[in-house]
Amino acid sequence: MDTQQHFHHPFQHMPDIPELFKAHGYIADKAISLTTKIAFDLGKPILLEGEAGVGKTQLAKTLAAILETRLIRLQCYEGLDTSSALYEWNYAKQILAIRLAESSKSKQTEIETSIFTEDYLFTRPLLQAVRHGGPTPPVLLIDEIDRADEEFEAYLLELLSDFQVTIPELGTFEAQVRPIVILTSNRTRELNDALKRRCLYLWVDYPSMEKEQEIIAQHVPEINADLTRSISKLVNNLRSIDFFKKPGVAESLDWAQALLSLRVDSINSQILFDTAGVLLKYKDDIERLKALDMESLIDYKKP
Amino acid sequence: MTIKNPDGRNSENHAVASHTLNICTAARNAGLVITPARSIDVFKTLGCIDISDKKEYQLALRLNLASTKEEEIIFDRVFNGYWNNTPESEGDYILANSEMIKGSLDAGLSNEGHRDMISESDSFSEAAVARKANLRMRWDPLAPPLHKLIRELSRRLATRPSRRNQNSPHGTKIDIRKSVRKSVPFGMELINLSRTIPKVRKTRIVLLCDVSGSMDVFNPFLLQLMFGVQKTLKNSRTIVFSTQTNDITPLLRGHDVVDVLAKVSRTVRYWSGGTNIAKALTDVNRNVLAEGFSRSTVLIVVSDGYDTGDIAGVKRELELAKRRTRSIVWINPMYGSSSFEIRAKTMKAAMPYIDEFLPAFNAQSLLKLIAGLKRLS
Repeated sequence: MDTQQHFHHPFQHMPDIPELFKAHGYIADKAISLTTKIAFDLGKPILLEGEAGVGKTQLAKTLAAILETRLIRLQCYEGLDTSSALYEWNYAKQILAIRLAESSKSKQTEIETSIFTEDYLFTRPLLQAVRHGGPTPPVLLIDEIDRADEEFEAYLLELLSDFQVTIPELGTFEAQVRPIVILTSNRTRELNDALKRRCLYLWVDYPSMEKEQEIIAQHVPEINADLTRSISKLVNNLRSIDFFKKPGVAESLDWAQALLSLRVDSINSQILFDTAGVLLKYKDDIERLKALDMESLIDYKKP
Repeated sequence: MTIKNPDGRNSENHAVASHTLNICTAARNAGLVITPARSIDVFKTLGCIDISDKKEYQLALRLNLASTKEEEIIFDRVFNGYWNNTPESEGDYILANSEMIKGSLDAGLSNEGHRDMISESDSFSEAAVARKANLRMRWDPLAPPLHKLIRELSRRLATRPSRRNQNSPHGTKIDIRKSVRKSVPFGMELINLSRTIPKVRKTRIVLLCDVSGSMDVFNPFLLQLMFGVQKTLKNSRTIVFSTQTNDITPLLRGHDVVDVLAKVSRTVRYWSGGTNIAKALTDVNRNVLAEGFSRSTVLIVVSDGYDTGDIAGVKRELELAKRRTRSIVWINPMYGSSSFEIRAKTMKAAMPYIDEFLPAFNAQSLLKLIAGLKRLS
């Protein structure tokens, strides 16, 4: 029997969704809006893949802001296991409690019962998401799932299917309301097909020049429109060059902030030369950029 | 109820269902894995969207049916082809990959490569190359599988401890959780301590195989190696190159060898072409090694090194690859031939960056080499 509460989400009408995102500082295109709507309607996790810095994590943060709910983040890394992701007993506190109980001549069965209670439990992100009360669900961000091991991915698969966790000493916890799950991946490895099939998949690409202008204007409102246009145009041009790591939206925003703090009104080759490290993160890429004709790059129009 | 179809016409509900099913079938024929569960999800999704908006309809289907960026491209092609009444081409994967890798066949036309080494000196036109790409003819069904060999190679290459632990009575680290649990029968006295040792980190192999003309004779070995690596080490990547580069990892995941070979044949149209090692290394550096995991990645290049292309480029890219991998292993089946040292300038240029150089040409020779291979540190 389905004991989970039904949640009336604000993403019912497609035309309103971009505005909803924009009001919280996120410029969403049609693909993102539709993915969000379907994910909420069907209660399915969203798997976002894309280059670093294109706004995958930000989507989860924005969803939490729109729903005015808690964002529970699980940052994945190699070696991540259930004790860091789900729950762990507070052993130090348990041993201390045992010593105290022994000194007060308590029975062994009483000690056992008392130390395996919630007072001695560390709840980690996945359990926090399952135990989150309704009616608004939490947003569970499982960031960079590709960095975790395959064993953890298999465990996650089980959790995502029914949002139910069993702790042998305490019993089974079932989510009152299904968390909104966002998984992100930088594609450092292929994910398990079974996991992918449970999710709505979306490749988040670099934004178009126009969309990037909007993003910069939204996040750095102090900057003038001409400079915004120049930044998005130049960054767009840089992305057409075969750099090892192309600048993402995060780099564009950092650069806009940097130019603002330097009180720069227009971009020239000297400025680009001096601030190249904000946009490009590899020595080889910076050297390659410096070897290019920067003036033509600034004026370059993509065919 | 009457609803509007994505093609702009009004029709009954069942027409939409029929179109959707047809698109699912077309996507399946184009190589996407469309399970019944996925089809059901698609139909559930249709209830949430405005079907009269074709773009929305396309996006909704794509969200459920595609699982990678390449599959998104293939799906879009299938979808547009369906409504334009043009059947999807067999080479969807090559088109998707070509859009991603942004290469040009023309780049290979000016590359002489090692044409002098190839007995059949056909032109490098796409049609000519495609004719030669019937991989079923190159597969040796009687050859023993290389799974065991690859596992052994992987074991010898894997030396780095992981952050995960495994139980071991000889471990130096105490597993508190287990120790506390074991102490319950003894009144919570920690008498028997559980110990752990770090697991050995799995090796991630990036296999870069030269499938140019001069390697034709070694194709059965190459194909076995590719299958073996992909079946044994799931997180590995297999890339083939001649004048173009193709990541064929997803294609090798199938269970039916004949089917997989047919898919690879359709995808890799430039099999038996010229060689551009510098470009292949550039693509691997940009698209695969940039993904991280440099401490657990081993790059295995299988090539004879015959390439009169950009030697400086090979050096530059190998230097970069060296920084992004734990070690570089080069398997050269031509090593020992009389003309090897004179002609393979690229091989000479590459030698300073290679950690292990294995002159293997079949499973037996590779087995002997692995047996004598010291653990890479």
